[in-house]
Amino acid sequence: MGPLGLMGFTRVHNEVQEYEVFARKTRLEPLRQVGSVVAPDDELAMAYARATYDEERWVEMMIVPKAAVIQLWAPGEAEA
Amino acid sequence: MRYAEWCIAAPTLEADIAAAAMGLDDIGHSRVLYGSLRELGTPDVPDEPGSYANVAYLDRPWTDWTAFVAANGVLDSGFTVMIEALAGGNVEVLRSRLKKMLQEERYHAMHGRSWMRESRAAGAVEQARRDAIVWIGPEGGDVDELHQKGILSLGVRELRRRLDEQVSGASASLPIDWNAWDPVRRRIVPGGIDDLTLTMLQGLAEKRYMPAGA
Repeated sequence: MGPLGLMGFTRVHNEVQEYEVFARKTRLEPLRQVGSVVAPDDELAMAYARATYDEERWVEMMIVPKAAVIQLWAPGEAEA
Repeated sequence: MRYAEWCIAAPTLEADIAAAAMGLDDIGHSRVLYGSLRELGTPDVPDEPGSYANVAYLDRPWTDWTAFVAANGVLDSGFTVMIEALAGGNVEVLRSRLKKMLQEERYHAMHGRSWMRESRAAGAVEQARRDAIVWIGPEGGDVDELHQKGILSLGVRELRRRLDEQVSGASASLPIDWNAWDPVRRRIVPGGIDDLTLTMLQGLAEKRYMPAGA
């Protein structure tokens, strides 16, 4: 039980969604995708994004649920 | 320190990383607080086991994730409301230095809140809430005195109210025996941090593995 052992806690999030993480270091540069996180809600996704991608001094960071992204075409596909 | 113990044992990889990051944040916060205290002329306390004024909740390593969740969602929030009161008070050093700390603690609270919704942590939450209230102290005590002087922008009642906002649906807790309260260590139960953790905090474990001159 506990750290370094087996945990009593077995239920890990029934439903999760993926969030894309965007950030930039200066106001002049565009936001770029720096990674993604998986979480059951927006609050935990925000906490995870900040904890995971805080290696730079970002002036801005935002997350977007991947489900909200509308893809027009993918690599290898002809422009619609 | 307790957060760090879970950085490879949390239920998800993201939670592992968050535990490490929040542990680092809190070490940074301690450094800022100790630096501010020194600047305000507070003498250093001797590095002895009895001088550690930790809340009882941190005495032993947590053996269950729900204990982490409650510490993160409730105990950490207890510290945060006090930092808010200091940042809003009339001591300039604290007003200017503690703002960043509050920004970082916002993410700790979000992490704790979300996991509290997910976990069955009621028992641990109640214990953490009780320890946080004990740490804040009794009504009419030193905290209320500092509030009257303007050093703290909030008194005991308001601090407790803000803490309870974080713990929605908190059950009525058992009465606290304030007569047994130690105003220096800000706790009721005797005891202290476990020996293994203490040697790590004092850097003794480090010296054992890396003797001087090696």
